Amino acid sequence: MWSRLALSRTLRSLSLFSSPSPSNWSKVVSDAEKIVGYPTSFMSLRCLLSDELSNVAMQVRKLVGTKHPLLNTARGFVYDSKNNLQMRGLVVLLMSKAAGPSSSASESLLPDMVSGIYPSQRSLAEITELIHTAFLVHRGIVNLKEWTNADGPLKDMQFGNKMAVLSGDFLLANACTGLAQLNNTKVVELISSAIGDLVQGIYYESSSTAEDNADFTLASWENQTFLSHGALLAKSCQAAMELAKHDKESQTLAYQYGKHLSLGHKLNSDLQPFVRGSEGELVPFSLDSAPVMFHRHAVGLERWQQQLQQARSMGRQTDYSKLCSTIKKEKGVSQAMDLCGYHGNKALEVIKCFPASEARSALENIACAVAKF
Amino acid sequence: MAAPWRHCWRRYYYAAVTGTCRPCVTPAGLLAAPPAVISLLFSYFRWKPRLLLGRCRWTHQDAKLRDPFSLAQKDLKDLYEDIRKELLVSRAELKALCDYYFDGKGKAFRPMIVVLMARACNVHGDRDGDLLPGQRSVAMISEMIHTASLVHDDVIDGSDKRRGKTTINEVWGERKAILAGDFILSAASMALARIGNNAVVSVLSQVVEDLVRGEFMQLGSKENENERFKHYLEKTFKKTASLIANSCKAVSILVNADPEVHEIAFQYGRNVGIAFQLVDDVLDFTSCASLLGKPSAADLRLGLATGPVLFACQQFPELHAMIMRRFSSSGDVDRAWSYVLQSDGVEQTSYLAQRYCQEAVRQISRLRPSPERDALIQLTQLVLTRDK
Repeated sequence: MWSRLALSRTLRSLSLFSSPSPSNWSKVVSDAEKIVGYPTSFMSLRCLLSDELSNVAMQVRKLVGTKHPLLNTARGFVYDSKNNLQMRGLVVLLMSKAAGPSSSASESLLPDMVSGIYPSQRSLAEITELIHTAFLVHRGIVNLKEWTNADGPLKDMQFGNKMAVLSGDFLLANACTGLAQLNNTKVVELISSAIGDLVQGIYYESSSTAEDNADFTLASWENQTFLSHGALLAKSCQAAMELAKHDKESQTLAYQYGKHLSLGHKLNSDLQPFVRGSEGELVPFSLDSAPVMFHRHAVGLERWQQQLQQARSMGRQTDYSKLCSTIKKEKGVSQAMDLCGYHGNKALEVIKCFPASEARSALENIACAVAKF
Repeated sequence: MAAPWRHCWRRYYYAAVTGTCRPCVTPAGLLAAPPAVISLLFSYFRWKPRLLLGRCRWTHQDAKLRDPFSLAQKDLKDLYEDIRKELLVSRAELKALCDYYFDGKGKAFRPMIVVLMARACNVHGDRDGDLLPGQRSVAMISEMIHTASLVHDDVIDGSDKRRGKTTINEVWGERKAILAGDFILSAASMALARIGNNAVVSVLSQVVEDLVRGEFMQLGSKENENERFKHYLEKTFKKTASLIANSCKAVSILVNADPEVHEIAFQYGRNVGIAFQLVDDVLDFTSCASLLGKPSAADLRLGLATGPVLFACQQFPELHAMIMRRFSSSGDVDRAWSYVLQSDGVEQTSYLAQRYCQEAVRQISRLRPSPERDALIQLTQLVLTRDK
């Protein structure tokens, strides 16, 4: 039981940080960063440099050698922060720039813009990152009763949890005060509701592996994934429009772009283990990932359990390459790829409603990269 | 600073208890005070701990006093039901976790102060007393933020009992408990935004930050005794008083544009809040387990040195080493416990709570008289005399 849990956790953090087709994606993102001026998230930096989090960083060293997920999450900030951790913030900035100042904006506000982006929109981008990071940390809270001594001393796990609760809360609290400073209660409400969505999505994200999963449908997968992986970006993009006083229509377009991009992005990362085949050894994949879920839905629970059994027959470890080729034989993978392409296209379609600009091209490139393998 | 005719220690003492009056957002004026102030504070309490025990002299005798609980009752009717309506969750399990502590069995201490303060401010601002919708929302939000932080605290402290119920983390596990706390906070934040007042949003967001910073402060302790006491009071403000102070301030903002009134509301909440926590820390030593709904000496077991221990440490320097190692060696908790009971740490902490209440009364007395204002005055006595 535990080893499956540990694996799914490791996988979750892997899939959160791994990027679709690395070389292409990196280039798209780094080109886009140049357009928005300074992409570095100052608010996150301020948080990371605060007494509170430096304290946590010191303490996290105690977790080395344990299996607490906080360790992996913290590692991710240092080693893999380059192109993915701030992807959401970057999209919000590009979206702000692509939409530009609204026609109703007073002339006096224009000089405040840096690289075509209002300071409040920059803060919003940072807040989006803070919230995202806070939940990376809170996702890794461990249920102590499921922990056995073989996984490390219980005391260490309690301590890891304590640090994870506090640092996640600290990031969220900074997001709250940051939101308040935007002086726009509509934006506060929108982003707060995104936090609520995120919580609901995360709460149920691992329960989908539950055996009684008869009511799984494509629509329910999309709803669930939108909550856990899309709502924050969609609502942040919408909020960026609200901050520049753009009308309801632009707000809806921005929301749609954020939504489709996130769904495409999630599908793309879930698909990586199934399309990378040629690059040597297979990375274990999560049984919650989209291709597996679609596969299960297609073949039915009974056959899926047989297949799972077969892949496990050699000892207790799951043979992932065997499972992978079994899955590849059915239509789960192609279904996921089609859906990924659909969301990439939708995002592209929506962003074309904005006037042509450098920022819009960057958003188009990102939408294309998400649907490429 | 106060007028020079006062004795030096009095002036310092006054500054310590009242906090800096301006700018009004300064959370704890105490922080600005030099370490000497705290030691003066200490020596003052050392010599005169029992002189001023007794009824608070500021209570208005002519106003007909009504029990704050019954006076606030009409505004708090259906409070928990309304909170549950704010917690919009489609799926049953998460909904059950979110609703868990909003079962109507809580004391609703914070919402009570908030609605009384709201009505007192309304009367002061020449209106009839009736609550504005936004003020009622603030009362709900204060209870929601409080509950969200309790849920997280229980995970951090590994508690298995709260208000006589099994804690959420004990029933559903730590991961879900944290998410439920986060959800309650997000719902509170949405309700806050819907009030539609930026100043109110900013004042109550500060509370969320204070709560976390206070929790961080609780992780560390200071080597130096004066520093340690200052640290303790600052932590107490952030963890307990900030919510009450800023909620009071928020309801005053909604009815009155005068910053002086906001400051009165804030200072009343701040002083009552600190007194409330000081009494809580005393009860951890004096109340029997069944009354408080948690085991006694719970703080010591968590490694926390609260007021009674800090005062006791002056009489029994042996406590110093135990405080520094957070009562982690075997026998520490029992030894510290008996040192505290032998010392006058409990009396001195109660006395300090009393001084904070006096300051709260002095502040609130600057508002125009109303039944609610007088109930707030009376409430300070209830804070001091509560036994659970």
